[in-house]
Amino acid sequence: MSRGINYASSPLLTSKTPVWRSKFIVAVIALGFVGLIGRATYIQVINNNFFKRQGEVRFVRTLDLPANRGKILDRNGLILASSVLAPSVWAIPEDVDVDDANLTKLAKLLDIPKKELSKKLNDEDKSFVWLKRQVDESNAKMIEALGIKGIYLRNEYKRKYPEGDSAASIMGYANVDGKGLGGVEFALNHELAGQAGSRKVIKNRLGQVVENIGEQRPPTAGKDQQLSIDSRIQFFAFQKLRDAVVEHKANSGSAVVIDVVTGEVLALANYPVGNNTSKKEGMNGAQLRNRALSDTFEPGSTMKPFIAALALERGFVKPETVIQTAPGRMTIGGATISDAHPQGELTVNQVIQKSSNVGIVKLAMQTEPKDMWSMYDQLGFGQKPQLSFPGVVGGKLRSYKTWRPIEQATMSYGYGLSCSLFQLAHAYSVFARDGEIIPLTLTKSNQRVTGVPVFKSNNAIAVRHMLNLATSAGGTAQKAQTIGYSVGGKTGTAHIQEGKGYASKKYRGFFVGMAPIENPRIVVAVMIEEPKNGKYFGGDVAAPVFSETVQQTLRILGVQPDINVKPQIVYSAVEESF
Amino acid sequence: MIRINFMLLAAVVMTMLYVVKVQYESRQLFVAIEKATLEVRKLELNHSALQVEIRVQATPLIIEKLAKDKLQMRSATPAVTQYISIPASLLPPTQTSEVAK
Repeated sequence: MSRGINYASSPLLTSKTPVWRSKFIVAVIALGFVGLIGRATYIQVINNNFFKRQGEVRFVRTLDLPANRGKILDRNGLILASSVLAPSVWAIPEDVDVDDANLTKLAKLLDIPKKELSKKLNDEDKSFVWLKRQVDESNAKMIEALGIKGIYLRNEYKRKYPEGDSAASIMGYANVDGKGLGGVEFALNHELAGQAGSRKVIKNRLGQVVENIGEQRPPTAGKDQQLSIDSRIQFFAFQKLRDAVVEHKANSGSAVVIDVVTGEVLALANYPVGNNTSKKEGMNGAQLRNRALSDTFEPGSTMKPFIAALALERGFVKPETVIQTAPGRMTIGGATISDAHPQGELTVNQVIQKSSNVGIVKLAMQTEPKDMWSMYDQLGFGQKPQLSFPGVVGGKLRSYKTWRPIEQATMSYGYGLSCSLFQLAHAYSVFARDGEIIPLTLTKSNQRVTGVPVFKSNNAIAVRHMLNLATSAGGTAQKAQTIGYSVGGKTGTAHIQEGKGYASKKYRGFFVGMAPIENPRIVVAVMIEEPKNGKYFGGDVAAPVFSETVQQTLRILGVQPDINVKPQIVYSAVEESF
Repeated sequence: MIRINFMLLAAVVMTMLYVVKVQYESRQLFVAIEKATLEVRKLELNHSALQVEIRVQATPLIIEKLAKDKLQMRSATPAVTQYISIPASLLPPTQTSEVAK
């Protein structure tokens, strides 16, 4: 008889499992949960910051938002300087994988020798190396198209100066990091630079920004700056100056054009000049500086009209008062002062017209040194011009207390004191503005500016008449005349200082004048340094530049001619018909 | 009671899935906005570069050269200029209000 199986019971069920075993398992599971809760508490509460940070390191990025550097505009709103995209090329040397053909192409696109490029790419100690900063965008696209592993592009911006050389000495330059280091770029850097912003974002594994985190700091773009400079006048002044420097084989030249109604500087030209679109940082100071503002010199005969004005102001002469200049020389304190061409009797008008040293010294010696110093001081000599521009200098004007008689005499015709061409142009505005000196500006104002009186208006007008005579027949600056406009001005020719004395055959020729003479609108000052082609008098080398600059400037400003010209317009009468 | 619990659970799960979907869509849109913003920036930069290029091509030096060489023009002087007077009433307001120079 077979035994049946009892499915209702199991020997296992009947076996006595120790209770501790099940309790142990429950305890282990409970412990596991406790561990998990503990770990969760540790991660979420106790050490939350650490894990949050680690998460951010993997996915959160802070992006810099560069601020656009402001544009520099001329008085008509034309661009003088603007930032354009110029990608920079960089590499991780250990990641670079490039064959010889591509290396050659890359070197050509970067415009660096292949050997130098190889050296940079083989420097595996470095994890980052710039191959070239700020390349042209077209070249950057071609580099990208090469698809070389380990070579990357980064967007940067470089300054472009459309006017090139003509405005280079005013613009200055900004470095690869967009910081102004010279000229207006430096002077107005704070306004132009703006403020960079930033934002925190989450990036996905493809490098795409998928979410903003926290507060964003938007960038503040730099403000555009409008200068008083007129790019057309600047160009013409530069062009005429360049032609004169080349023609007379001079070392350099500078020109300043001022609108005497508004006090705006319309042009500040220098030649030769560093090109601000090329490698600026490799240039020397002489090439980069704005010589019209930063170089001082003894102004020579251009100072004579101020002495004439002072003499008229003190009332001891009139324009027609006769002064004996024969025999063309005079001695003061053992030193002899002479005229280049002895003249005999001259009126005060003629002293300026003929530029007589003896005549002007005779006038100067009748004034008190304090009076003379005070006038020079009021005109801005010996003081740094109030102009926001780097490297502006004030020249030298010693206190009258230390003047010896011979020094007072030489200072009357521009030796023993120094100034920049800009200061000289500024001082001449006193005649153009009927005796008041006006503040000058490099930023657009377009408002009539109020000046400070230095001379009575009738005396300033009288000196203006003398300046007109200097450019007329019999004057020293006939080449300053220009078609259609009456002009007036004064030439200057000074020996260049060398060591403790003066170089015998090195000269500086200059001319400062204004037009139209009855109602001046502009003052133009021109200096040609060390002409070596035979001619060196200011009337020969600088006055023609003045003439052409005045001609173009007044035409551009829309000033109607004040003297008759022989019209060269050809009319052909045509009968109207239906 | 159990049925309500299951319904609530199902609702919670569906809501969760919907949240994930919305989050995904929002990121897609965000990426699209980013792309569009970059495009705007690129166009602005192109515009700026083109403005500079226009200016480079229109500097007095180039204009003068073209006028002289190609068009056989010469510089204007008062001798070849006809000056005319325009009555103040015909001037646009911007010019009449300008400082008299």
